[in-house]
Amino acid sequence: MNAFAFAARSLIRQPGRSALGILGIAAVGALLFDMLLLSRGLVVSFRDLLDRDGFDIRVTATDAGPIGGPRLPHASPIAAEVAALPEVADAVPILMSDAEASHPGGPPVAISLLGIDARSGRHPWTISSGHDLEDVAAGTSGELLVNQALAASLTAALGDEIAIRVRCGPGRAPLPPSTFRVVGVAEFPFDDAVQLSGVVRRARMAGACDADGRDEADMILVSSRQGGGPDAAVSAIRRRRPDVHAATNEQIVARLAVSRFTYFRQISTVLSTITLLFGFLLITVLLTVSVNQRLGEIAAVRALGFSRARVAADVLWQSALLVGIGGLLALPVGVVLSIWLDAILKTMPGIPIALHFFVFEPRSLLLHAVLLAVTAVLAAAYPIALVTTLPIATTLRNEVVS
Amino acid sequence: MTPAEQPRLVEAVGLTRTFPMGAGPVHALRAVSMQIAAGDYLAIRGPSGCGKSTLLHILGCVDTPTGGTLIFDGQSVGALPDAERSAIRLRGIGFVFQRFFLLPMLTAAENIEVPQAEAGAGRRERRERTAELLEYVGLSHRATHRPSQLSGGEAQRVAIARALANRPRLLLADEPTGELDRATGDQIAALLDRVQHDGTAVVVVTHDAAIAARAARTLNMADGRLVGGDV
Repeated sequence: MNAFAFAARSLIRQPGRSALGILGIAAVGALLFDMLLLSRGLVVSFRDLLDRDGFDIRVTATDAGPIGGPRLPHASPIAAEVAALPEVADAVPILMSDAEASHPGGPPVAISLLGIDARSGRHPWTISSGHDLEDVAAGTSGELLVNQALAASLTAALGDEIAIRVRCGPGRAPLPPSTFRVVGVAEFPFDDAVQLSGVVRRARMAGACDADGRDEADMILVSSRQGGGPDAAVSAIRRRRPDVHAATNEQIVARLAVSRFTYFRQISTVLSTITLLFGFLLITVLLTVSVNQRLGEIAAVRALGFSRARVAADVLWQSALLVGIGGLLALPVGVVLSIWLDAILKTMPGIPIALHFFVFEPRSLLLHAVLLAVTAVLAAAYPIALVTTLPIATTLRNEVVS
Repeated sequence: MTPAEQPRLVEAVGLTRTFPMGAGPVHALRAVSMQIAAGDYLAIRGPSGCGKSTLLHILGCVDTPTGGTLIFDGQSVGALPDAERSAIRLRGIGFVFQRFFLLPMLTAAENIEVPQAEAGAGRRERRERTAELLEYVGLSHRATHRPSQLSGGEAQRVAIARALANRPRLLLADEPTGELDRATGDQIAALLDRVQHDGTAVVVVTHDAAIAARAARTLNMADGRLVGGDV
C-alpha cells in the first residue's frame, strides 16, 4: 500500500472531518478562483471590446485619450494622411457628443451621439436590422443608426424621422434640432444596459457644432494592414504625424491596467492572500489534530520500519487530497459565483453590457492549481514536522501509560 | 544446537540511557550488557520503571543509547542515521505492542501487508505471505475484518503476524499479554513459543511470571540494571 492509498484510507476513516476540510477548501478555493478571474478580467474583457470593432489603433490629440482629452482639429486631412500610409488599412475619424433626441413634437431623451466618417465597411457597431450608413448614398446625409434601447425609447421604426439637438460640449446648451432618418438598428459594444445611442455622419454632426470649420474628431480609429501589425503602423503614424498620439489597443489596455484597473488587481491580491491564509490554517489545523490523535499509530509504524520520509509522505498526501478534491469542487462553485458577482457589478452605471469583470483564462486555472498546491505543501509542513520528529520510544511509552 | 551455541544476533555492551529531566537526569539504563543469539527466547522481568521497555526500545533500534555499544547482526547500530535504523527495523526486527497499534482503517490482511509493501514486496508475494501468516496465527477467516471487529486476542495475533511479515530475525514483544485475559494471554504466549520454535529470536518484556517461565532465559532488572538471570 503506497503513501497515496494510505493517506486516502486515513481520510476515509474520518469522513466527517475530511468532508469539513474538503468543503472548507471548496469555499476558499471558489473565492480564490473568482479573485484570479477578477484580477485580469476587466483588462482582458476591455481588450476584447477594443479588438471587437476591427480597429487596432487609436489616434487622439494627446495621451489623455478620447474622453476628457482635447479633440483632434483638422481630423479629415489627418485621417487621410494616416490612411495613405502603407502600414495602414483604414482610418476613420469619430466625434462623440451628448444630444437630445425626439420624435418631432415628442418629449426629448438624452442620448450619446457618435459622428463618424463612414467611408469604409469597418465600423465599431453591428447592424441588427435595417441598413448601415454605407448603404445610403453619401450625398443624402441625415441618416441615423440607433441602438435597440433608443429605438424602444422613441418607439422609432426604420424610416422614422427623429429630431436631434446636439450638445457640442459639456455644459453647453443643445443646438436647434436637426432631423435625421432612422436607417438601421445597431449594437454598440461600449453601450451599457440603459444607454441610448445613435450614430450619424460626422460631417453633419460637426457641421452643427463647428461654426469655425475646425473639422474636429475625438479620435481616429485605425486598422493596421494585415502582415504589418499595429506596432509598425503606430510607428509609421508617429513618424508622419508627431503632433498626434497613436497607441495600439494593447498599449491602451496596458495603460489602463496600470492606471484605472489596478484597484481590481489590488483587491484581488488582498482577498486571494486572505483566502489562501484561511485555507492554509484550515488544513494545518485539521492535519495537526489528526496527527495528534494518531501519535501512537505513527510511532508504531515507525517502530515497524516506516521511514521519516514515508510518514511525511502520508501527511503530505492527506493535505494534497483534501486541497485537491476541495480545489476541484471549487471550480464549478467559483464559476457560478463569478457569474452572480459579475451580474451584480454590471448593474453599476456606465458599465458596457459586453464588459465583464470575471473572465476565464487558462492561466487563471493554472495559477489556481499552483496556489492551492503551494497551500497544500505549506499546510502540511507543521504536521510533517510533528511526525518526522516524533520520539518513537517516548511516544510508545506514553501511549501505554495513558 | 542450543541458543547458546547459535551465532550472536545482538550484542549489547555497557548500554546506558539517561533522560534529561527538569528535576535532574533519570538513568533508565545503567551499563547493561547482554547477548541474544539467533533463535533465542528471552524474557525480561522487573518492576515498573526499572528500564525494561527502555532496553527493549534500544534493542529494537527505536531509541538510541546514551552510552555503550549495540551490535545487531554484526553491525554497530548505535549511531546509525534514522533511515538506516528504519531499514533495519523494517527487515530485521518485528515489534509487538501491548496495545496492538493495528491501523484501524485497514483490514487484518492489509495490516499485515503494509510492512511488506514498505519493504518493496510485490503484490502477489504480499498476498501469499499474508495468507500464510493469517493461517499461521489461525485467523484466515478474519482476513477482511477491521481491528474494531476483532477481539483483543485476535488483534494481538494479527499484530504478531504483522511483526513477522518481513521474516525478521528478532521479534520484540512489550507486555504482549498486558491487555488480555489469562486464557487469551496463554494463547498469545503459545503463539510466541511457536514463533521462537520456528527460528525467530523472541524477546518478551513482561510482568507475568507464567509468560516469562516459557522463555529459555530470563533477565531480571531493577533500577536500570540487570540484577540476575541468564545474561
